[in-house]
Amino acid sequence: MKKVVVPCSGIGKAFGAVSREATHLLTEGRHSNDYRTICLPLLMTEDTEAKQVIHDSEVYTIDGCPAKCASTLVKHVGGKPVMEIMVPKVLAVNKDHKPDTVLDIGDGGRLLCQDIMKIVLESGGKEQ
Amino acid sequence: MSFKPKVGIVSCSGEDCPGGSVSRAATLAVLHRLRPADTVTICLPLFLAGSGAEREFARHFPTITVDGCGKMCAAKGTAKYSSEPAVKINIGDYIGHACTEDDGKTMVSEDTHVVEQVANDIASHIDRLRSEWR
Repeated sequence: MKKVVVPCSGIGKAFGAVSREATHLLTEGRHSNDYRTICLPLLMTEDTEAKQVIHDSEVYTIDGCPAKCASTLVKHVGGKPVMEIMVPKVLAVNKDHKPDTVLDIGDGGRLLCQDIMKIVLESGGKEQ
Repeated sequence: MSFKPKVGIVSCSGEDCPGGSVSRAATLAVLHRLRPADTVTICLPLFLAGSGAEREFARHFPTITVDGCGKMCAAKGTAKYSSEPAVKINIGDYIGHACTEDDGKTMVSEDTHVVEQVANDIASHIDRLRSEWR
């Protein structure tokens, strides 16, 4: 089954930028054959092709705040994420990996992205 | 002195499309550098997943949507869940095929020419919308 990573990409906070960069680590690096992403806004418009991808895939969501936009939108189109990652919860485990700003997540943010990538790669199917 | 509203900038930030990275970078340039005092941003998915404050803002104040491709998700989402945007920008109008399959998704950075061009256009629209506000 295909694996799809859906970040919130929140534009107001550094955690949103972390969700986006962590996703690109998985989908554009050496794991790109196994993971892909889709544009989250397509789920808002209920794009037929995007909905089909969600239904046919193992979906991982990465959210930056409690609104859980990525997870909510995946469920809105009938998807069932196998893993729902909350960036602040990952940071709580690795407190030194604090991101700087939405413009530049900094070294801490990049380490946090690595943490998230490892969670996706190492432990599937359970909520974080 | 008359009231001048802040303008809401709604970026699609499409993750699977270089145009989405341009829309995000241009929006951030406006918010943080070009017009920080005149703008607010709204996370697009919050129109659906949020508490309702985002919908209320866009019902009463002007918004500019910045989309990475011709699917215009930000414009459609804003209109569907709140109100018709005052301005709809499509990055595809600047760079042509914004979402081709083989393009790198993150290669566009904030210092590219097109990001600057889009950001300047957004800033011009902001100035116009605020000056025309009654």
